[in-house]
Amino acid sequence: MELFTHRETDPAAVSGRPGLPLSGRRVVIQPNMSRRGWPCNAGSRALENYTALEDAAIIPRLEKSGAHLAGNSRMSELGFGLAADTTVRALIEKEADIALMTDTMGEARVAAARAGIFGFKPSWGIVSRFGLIGLVPSMECYGVAAADPADISGVMQAISGKDDRDFSMPDGELPDFSQEGKTQTGSRRAGIVKEMLALLTDKDRGLFRENLKMLGSAGVEVVEVTFPEFELLQTAHQVIAAAEASSSAGKYDGVRYGYRAPGAKNWNDMYLDSRGAAFGTLVKAFLFQGAYFQFENYAAFENACRVRRRLVRSMENLLSELDLLVSPTCRMVRKDAAPSDVRGAYEEFILTLPANLTGQPALQVPGDPAGDCVGLHLTAKRLDDSRLLALGRRLAASRGAK
Amino acid sequence: MKYEAVIGLEIHVQLNAATKLFCDCPNRPGDEPNRNTCPVCLWFPGAFPRLSREALEKAVLACLALNCTIQPVSAFDQKVYYYPDLPKGFQLSQHHKPLARNGWIDIAGENGEPRRLRIHHIHLEEDVAKLVHETEGRTPISLVDFNRAGTPLIEIVSEPDLRSPHEAMEYVKTLRGQLRYTGSAECSMEKGTMRVDANISLRQEGSSGFNTKVEVKNMNSIRNVGDAIAYEIRRQTECLEKGETIVLHTRLWDPDKRATAPMRGKFSGPCIPDPSVASIVINEEWLNEIRGMLPEMPDRKAARFSGDYGLTPDEAAAMSLERDISDFFEAAAKSGAAPRKAANWIAVHLAPALRDRGAALAETPLSAERFAALLSLLEKEIINPQSAKEVLLQLLATDESPEKIVEKGGYGQVSDAVELDALIDRVIGEHPADVADYRKGNAKVLGFLMGIAMKASKGKANPKLLREILAKRLG
Repeated sequence: MELFTHRETDPAAVSGRPGLPLSGRRVVIQPNMSRRGWPCNAGSRALENYTALEDAAIIPRLEKSGAHLAGNSRMSELGFGLAADTTVRALIEKEADIALMTDTMGEARVAAARAGIFGFKPSWGIVSRFGLIGLVPSMECYGVAAADPADISGVMQAISGKDDRDFSMPDGELPDFSQEGKTQTGSRRAGIVKEMLALLTDKDRGLFRENLKMLGSAGVEVVEVTFPEFELLQTAHQVIAAAEASSSAGKYDGVRYGYRAPGAKNWNDMYLDSRGAAFGTLVKAFLFQGAYFQFENYAAFENACRVRRRLVRSMENLLSELDLLVSPTCRMVRKDAAPSDVRGAYEEFILTLPANLTGQPALQVPGDPAGDCVGLHLTAKRLDDSRLLALGRRLAASRGAK
Repeated sequence: MKYEAVIGLEIHVQLNAATKLFCDCPNRPGDEPNRNTCPVCLWFPGAFPRLSREALEKAVLACLALNCTIQPVSAFDQKVYYYPDLPKGFQLSQHHKPLARNGWIDIAGENGEPRRLRIHHIHLEEDVAKLVHETEGRTPISLVDFNRAGTPLIEIVSEPDLRSPHEAMEYVKTLRGQLRYTGSAECSMEKGTMRVDANISLRQEGSSGFNTKVEVKNMNSIRNVGDAIAYEIRRQTECLEKGETIVLHTRLWDPDKRATAPMRGKFSGPCIPDPSVASIVINEEWLNEIRGMLPEMPDRKAARFSGDYGLTPDEAAAMSLERDISDFFEAAAKSGAAPRKAANWIAVHLAPALRDRGAALAETPLSAERFAALLSLLEKEIINPQSAKEVLLQLLATDESPEKIVEKGGYGQVSDAVELDALIDRVIGEHPADVADYRKGNAKVLGFLMGIAMKASKGKANPKLLREILAKRLG
């Protein structure tokens, strides 16, 4: 399978600007991140042949920091899950140094864990989503994957910050990634959620314990905590995300862009035929679920929103007594889900999706080099992104020293 | 059985903000099709809505004018429906958390009794695109014009407090007056900047329950609102008397057939909160700023006009109904015009003349000072009322002074007794039979001869003097 769906060929753009924080760094983006003039199909026939009309907010920011935009990877349909995604592979095959990936359930972190590199999801709202063709607006964000956590910090410093084109960004001060080197180290406490441990096999637990040693040697104290509603995190995510997706994807009608089915007798049939042919089975199943909550069981959607608000509070309370939550990033054993199985797709992200639902920053740290692919997943307080990345750099340094 | 109508109105009003609700495109739906568009209002993927401060200000002003309580927090939802005028698949509207709640409008009821009609809530929303159906050619096609897409609307939802077509028309008229006062909206049903939908149901008189309602749309004037509701009340009464049940549906008013007919059910979907548009949080300080922009409203102004200028309640109401007219009246009075005279001339001569021209006061060169000067010419009997009317019409077209127009047009009143004597001589000579009739005691003939004489003077005779001389000569 081709790594790139589009490659930058303009020599001026390829070289990037010298003497800047990201000079010489090659960034691969997904084709749902608008780059004026580049194909932007979001991995879906629903946007077949769609070309971005203007640059996403992050694009000029990356360029100003000297980064070179290498091209578009191949992505899963509308960024939901990791099927057919080649973004991290572009790093493994040394075609790029940094990958930007849509992270809705934990895609960037899980892909990084499977590749043994760092993956980061910032606090919700600190990067302008202007120009991101999304699916689940209240949860998705730009995730960043790279072998070197310093590259993640560099990208975050470039792309985060206020943008008056995205009104959903929080008021008040946003994390300052330029101060990261000076961030106090101090002692840290990390909590392991007991209810989460129950989801792991003995083998996963064993690998996780191995990876935890890293934290110990970095001076992080690890304690066990309880989050009785842990299971609700996935349910709430799924109900809300599906409903939001159904609303967001309503615009793909095949009229002004994207695939249009031929031969329909009227506009309604044209919508139905085009949408039926354009979406893949997994996204279609997801949209069906969302439509169910929107049209048939709105009360369940409202309940899920209420539960979500409660979970946000629980998560904040838990993190008020701790600095971090720690878990594996993914589980080692996975069944390959049927292509239309939404629940199966969710299984892969069960450990990463809580941060998307409740808005915290989270970092995947590669585990012990013994071929481990469960990774180490650290979740920090909201807007504590900078300290989290600083810890990531310390952990990377101690790994390198071994 | 005697039935009582229960009526609620949902009124969409286009705000006259300079830009659309969520982008910087001009809010001019009438321009060349699809000229005022950008990725945001074409609803392309990746575009983000940004709420316009001006539209919010105008909406808040409108809500305050309708006595509503502004909500400290309001938010937008995605109202899902699929139709070619909304290719985004949802309309941004405030379903769960509207901008304002609990307002009211005071009107005079059927028998002049005061009636307070409650407003349930007012919310902000974006308008959809306009479909133009070309049915001529070989293949009928529908064209989509996005100039209107994303323009700012408020929807004003009343409580089901209205009981008659009269109340509905008064409600709409008063609401329109209040909103125009704020300068936030044009409110023209004819031009489509105000759209009124009525929900109508019947119940047994004296009962307090609510029955199945029918929605009626597509009225393009206030009179049509009244007519459509009256028609619908008759139709539903007949249905009930025949023992039929009323089913929930929507009907369109046909202004030519003067009847309502059922329309195809339009699917209306759910509303989920939109995470990409920030909530609107209004603090007291900002709200006070907007309150400060609220002009003196019609009822208060009418009371003041009665007190300050000695107008009767009817005159005061007429002079305060529209803000431009009220400002004009007050300026004329302050320029020395006798207030009741000014009010009378505005209501009887100026307003109809503006209506005939389809023009607003501001679109004519007429100023309050020149209007006062005209009335002063009348007062001093330099011109007579007939000529004054002529001069007024000319004042609407040129910016010359009334004195100049009178001089140039020779409108000066003829008060020269000798001249009038000669004129009356002629009239008496030409109408011997009528003169004889009068002298036999038929007093009505005097009026007829007055008319002839006035006409003979080309309308310029001083009517008082003319009547005096005529009566004396006939007597």
